Amino acid sequence: MKTNKLFFALLIAVLLISVAASIVAAAEPVEITYSYWGTPDEAASVQAVADRFNAEHPEIVVKVMAIPNEEYVTKLNTMATANELPDCGIMNEAGVLDFAEKGLLADVSDMYAGADSMPLDSITFKKDGKPVAYSAANEILILYYNTDMFDAAGLPYPSATEPMTWDEFVATAKKLTLDKNGKNADDPEFDAENIVQYGAVVDNWTWQLEVWALSNGGSWFNADGTEVTINSPEAIESIQKVADLYLVDKVMPYNAGLEDNGIQRSIVSGTVAMATGGTWNVGTSLPGSVKYSVAPLPVMKKEVTICTGGPQVIFSQSKHQAEAMEFIKWYTKEENSWDNLIATGIWMPILEKYYTDEALTKKWIDNPNFPKYEDYKAAVVDYAMNYAVSTSWYYTPHTNEFIEYLRSILGPVWDGTQTAEEAINGGYDYLSSILAGE
Amino acid sequence: MAKKTAFQSRMKHEKTLNTLALIAVILASLLVMLPIWWIFRSSLMTNAQLFAWPPSFFPKDWLFSNYTKALKYFPFLQYLKNTMTIIIPSVLGGTITATMGGYAFARLRFRGKKFLFSLCVGSMLLPNMVTLIPLYIMWTKGFHLANTYWPLILPYFCGGGAFNIFLIRQFISTIPRELDEAATIDGAGYFRILTNIIVPSIKPAIIVVALLLFIQIWNDLLQQIIYINTGDKFTIAIGLSQFKGSLKQEWAYIMCATCMSFAPGIIFYLIGQKYFVEGIVLTGMKN
Amino acid sequence: MEIDVRKKKADHRLLDGERKTAYLCLIPSCIGLIFLTYVPLITVLILSFFNWKGVGTLQWVGLTNYVRLFTKDPYFIDAIKVTVYFSVLAVFGSILYSFAIALLLNQKIPARGFFRAIFYLPYVLPAMAVYLGWSWLYESNWGLFNYILSFLGIGKVKFIGSPTWVVPSLALIAVWLSGNLIVIFLAGLQNVPRVYHEAAEMDGASGWQRFRYITIPCMTPIIFYNLLMSLITNMQVVTPALALTQGGPGNSSRFISYVMYTYAFKDAKLSYACAISFIFFLIIAVFTIILFVTSGRWVFYQGGND
Repeated sequence: MKTNKLFFALLIAVLLISVAASIVAAAEPVEITYSYWGTPDEAASVQAVADRFNAEHPEIVVKVMAIPNEEYVTKLNTMATANELPDCGIMNEAGVLDFAEKGLLADVSDMYAGADSMPLDSITFKKDGKPVAYSAANEILILYYNTDMFDAAGLPYPSATEPMTWDEFVATAKKLTLDKNGKNADDPEFDAENIVQYGAVVDNWTWQLEVWALSNGGSWFNADGTEVTINSPEAIESIQKVADLYLVDKVMPYNAGLEDNGIQRSIVSGTVAMATGGTWNVGTSLPGSVKYSVAPLPVMKKEVTICTGGPQVIFSQSKHQAEAMEFIKWYTKEENSWDNLIATGIWMPILEKYYTDEALTKKWIDNPNFPKYEDYKAAVVDYAMNYAVSTSWYYTPHTNEFIEYLRSILGPVWDGTQTAEEAINGGYDYLSSILAGE
Repeated sequence: MAKKTAFQSRMKHEKTLNTLALIAVILASLLVMLPIWWIFRSSLMTNAQLFAWPPSFFPKDWLFSNYTKALKYFPFLQYLKNTMTIIIPSVLGGTITATMGGYAFARLRFRGKKFLFSLCVGSMLLPNMVTLIPLYIMWTKGFHLANTYWPLILPYFCGGGAFNIFLIRQFISTIPRELDEAATIDGAGYFRILTNIIVPSIKPAIIVVALLLFIQIWNDLLQQIIYINTGDKFTIAIGLSQFKGSLKQEWAYIMCATCMSFAPGIIFYLIGQKYFVEGIVLTGMKN
Repeated sequence: MEIDVRKKKADHRLLDGERKTAYLCLIPSCIGLIFLTYVPLITVLILSFFNWKGVGTLQWVGLTNYVRLFTKDPYFIDAIKVTVYFSVLAVFGSILYSFAIALLLNQKIPARGFFRAIFYLPYVLPAMAVYLGWSWLYESNWGLFNYILSFLGIGKVKFIGSPTWVVPSLALIAVWLSGNLIVIFLAGLQNVPRVYHEAAEMDGASGWQRFRYITIPCMTPIIFYNLLMSLITNMQVVTPALALTQGGPGNSSRFISYVMYTYAFKDAKLSYACAISFIFFLIIAVFTIILFVTSGRWVFYQGGND
């Protein structure tokens, strides 16, 4: 009897305390973490944007967590294991579908509910046909060129409206490849051992190679992403053509296919005349380096480029999904990322209207952060609208493993130890088994 | 007479040998220093000079301003502070607990000594790499210490590694037992013997253990990458490994960062040089 | 009688104090040995029989992980070869290099301490910075080494960009870093009893003979020690792959530790990576045992307690 009373008294006390505690807690703003890839100083600028949100929303405090780009997937995996994922964040494209498969992503299907326009379909991640994440930005692959080098060689700039054919591209690159005596690669006395300026770099960052398969009329996967088709003759030939720029044409510096941003090694270092790369470089690598402009990628058989962009996601481990959603919705509105990311050239907007309405296009790119207006408009804005297709990670799972293995088997192709055909045929079965998740 | 000439010729022979050795040593040390010089001169160049062929051995204008620019992308002092936050407690913890363990194994009698000691020696042959994953699961999933320095520091408070315990033990066994026996008769406890007699006489070994721990932690990129997530907590090693990607491949700046990271090690070494070499010489002998 | 009992008691107390101190001193080490070494080792073995990706439940899969490693895994067998290749080059390279330098420094030369400091210096530099710095020396178009080769009339070598040269190039860095071995060798050389040399000289032994039959045998325990330490360190190599090569080009610098790291932390296949860890443990154990077993034949211990 007595113990019972005591027990109830205790129980009531505990209840009271916890209620009181939760009231106090409710008065406190909810703190959510947003993870972002980039250097600490980039994170500071993202935090500045988040602070604007914090000022408008006193009930939520967003803290930005900066994780380096190369380690992003690793870190998110680490945090997922520890059950300590951030509440929301940008996500590495290659990991989106795997995270979705493990149930680590919260449902974002109502992210654009009631909005007047939806993001481009080509940058929507889909699992079994259903959207699981929307890219926060649009990025396509284009050709950059150093205008000074073209001037010095007396060559006309690549056209922004009419892409070069692959052969024209190689021929131009040869004229721009110079040895220490100033002789170019067409010269019979050209000294390939002492090249001081290279004509071209086609980035062999593994995922970017997909565009050449498409350009050559092939593909890496079938349309619904259930079968690997990288062993098609067109896909194989496209890889060989890229490798031959170094092996046969001698216009490209050697790169072992160690993943990094080729624009930095090429255009930015001032040693290469033309290089392929993503549009983000306009805002990240190129400012303050060399005089440059842009053109569409050269064409093997078909005009095409691939588009991609990290999506903003909400992690299902979060205890504050509603607040996280509120922040992400706010953050993905163009006006909120405009100054830092869009007007600087790092992100391209995701809504169709910026590509179709020239007034909006002007508002976006008619500023000194971008190369010549006509060039960027034709080679990037229009081209993205008309010729861009999704990179395969929007619809195929296990991309990280796929890319890693592909990179490893392509290693001997870049230095000519193996042909692309040998490498791809040798690795095809394993590539298929990765896709199948075996 | 003949004997004298033989002696003289031997002296002469030895002299030429020594001169040859000196020349060889000078050449070899130049070769060893060459990479460091090349890295240093690269840190003072413009991109155009870096990507020039043929390259030159000396920078044209000695651009020390590269360092200020590199610091913008590579917050060296912040990284150094973070690194030291890990290193100082770890080295202290490692040295103290290794000394304690070594002392117990070298001097004290207790049940299970043989068994514990063989466990200890056995673990020397067990590479850290093997236990990485379970420890990672323990620290992150078990103790929720991801993105903190604890998983990097706490292990050093647990003996500082079998090798170091072993090293200290070997060193203590060379100290005459009479010393501590005399102290025992004077009524000193075992702990007092450790602090007052053993520790002062094994200073070189302790310094070597501290140096070995310092270098081990300094170089442990893998564990740092695994446990540290965010930029504000980066160590020098992670900072450097990320730097290459984030710094637009500006090689001059990358070389600046490299040179800056060389500095603490060099300073640490110059200060402690005498002790390190002495300690390594002594401990090298004792094993 | 009285005194005897008291003495015994005192002895007992003393022994108790001794035991207590011993256990107190060993608490940290024991925690380390149990929870940071042996328990994790057992956990590695147990986890390797499961399928677990960091989140969700564990599935018992028996030996599947091991079977897959040896039959289907595209990296693992290559990784073993590459790791062993690297270790052999790095271990023998460092031993030869540091022994040679120690011999030179053991001659009567001026400023010996200064030179010793120079050779030791690389050892105290952070490995990450060293690899980064050397990658610029190895650069295939603008690097120092290709410049030097151009004097010798040799065309450009791709060093870490080349599947053939990447491992020797990385091993060369490991050799450069082995300054601590020099100091240990040097100490050993200075400990070779002078009387042996003098006696041999009296008998008319040549410099080479003295080196071969006195110096080398006296040095074998130290060579053995350096060999063992160097082997265990180099087998675990991972930093160059993490920092520079990402295992490439192709698989040519994909060390076992790196394969383990990518599976565990990039692909979150934690239990599969545990299987790699365990095999890795066995490989290192085999090498160590081989070294110990063969050491009986060539390691010469001077009698007594030295």
